[in-house]
Amino acid sequence: MRIDIRQTETEEEYLTLRYREKTPLVEKILQTLAGEDKIEEPAGRKVAESRGFSEKEDIPPAAYGRILGRTEEGSAYISLSDILYLESVDDRVFAYTTRQVVRLDGTLTSFLAAICDESFFRCSKAMILNVNKVAALKSLSSNRIEATMEGGEKILISRRYASDFRKLLKRGSLG
Amino acid sequence: MKEEKKLTLWERYLTSEIGIEFKSCLYFFAILFFYCVVRMVNGSTDASILHMTEMIFTCYGIGYFQVYVLWNFDEAEKLGIKEIAGMVICTALYCGISYWGKWFDRELLPTLLFALYLMITYICVFYIYYSKRRIDDKKLNEDLKLFQSEHRPREK
Repeated sequence: MRIDIRQTETEEEYLTLRYREKTPLVEKILQTLAGEDKIEEPAGRKVAESRGFSEKEDIPPAAYGRILGRTEEGSAYISLSDILYLESVDDRVFAYTTRQVVRLDGTLTSFLAAICDESFFRCSKAMILNVNKVAALKSLSSNRIEATMEGGEKILISRRYASDFRKLLKRGSLG
Repeated sequence: MKEEKKLTLWERYLTSEIGIEFKSCLYFFAILFFYCVVRMVNGSTDASILHMTEMIFTCYGIGYFQVYVLWNFDEAEKLGIKEIAGMVICTALYCGISYWGKWFDRELLPTLLFALYLMITYICVFYIYYSKRRIDDKKLNEDLKLFQSEHRPREK
């Protein structure tokens, strides 16, 4: 990738990133940028559509590390890195942070496809947890794992998903 | 997106079957050891094949009972009343079968010692599984920290 960095004192500051594929480097840059809060509402839907999702599936605009959801007060953006876990209740997806609960459009599967981030792990049929927000892990009998989140919530990783979770931690990715 | 892998009914059955198989071998080995010691103390160096066959079938039977009825107590998270009750029930079953099968010639002292030995074995097995999980905890948390150091977005 060609990198062109110029310092300016008079011109407006801006940054353009052109990429053909989302390589780990590009992902990392996007993640870093997402934390800067200076990004226009991006083409998250386009990203999802380019991955074969249709308009009907209501993919949340998850690119660039932020996601739009609904709270009791109205719509709100939350940073992906703030999410502790996501839960599907009666076909509705809720994202939990330490401060708020946000309802998202789409399904858990479409969320994972749209964000394409290894830190989010499907830990049961109805839950996705953010591995970066896990405070501690405890091995249980029958090869299950209990994850204690930063907020103190305890999430059970069922036997079906536990071996994939171990692989993820070992290799840093499931791929 | 990774394809979701579902465990088939056969795989689930096989997993629990292997667990029971392992348990049966473990307890059979422990019981056989006690049986051999009792035989030797009584001056005999022979072991009955019939007794050993009975032991194997008993271990399998009680293994299933332990897993499916008695909460798999030797792999439980904590040693509570329920778990101790499970140990007592299984010990009583083993002793009853040993008495019926004349493993110790229906003598009271070896049968009582057998009961005590089984209780100690169950407690030891419980702590072995417990220690194994605590070691696993450490490994898991080490891997977690490593993962987080590689994947966590930079703090502002």
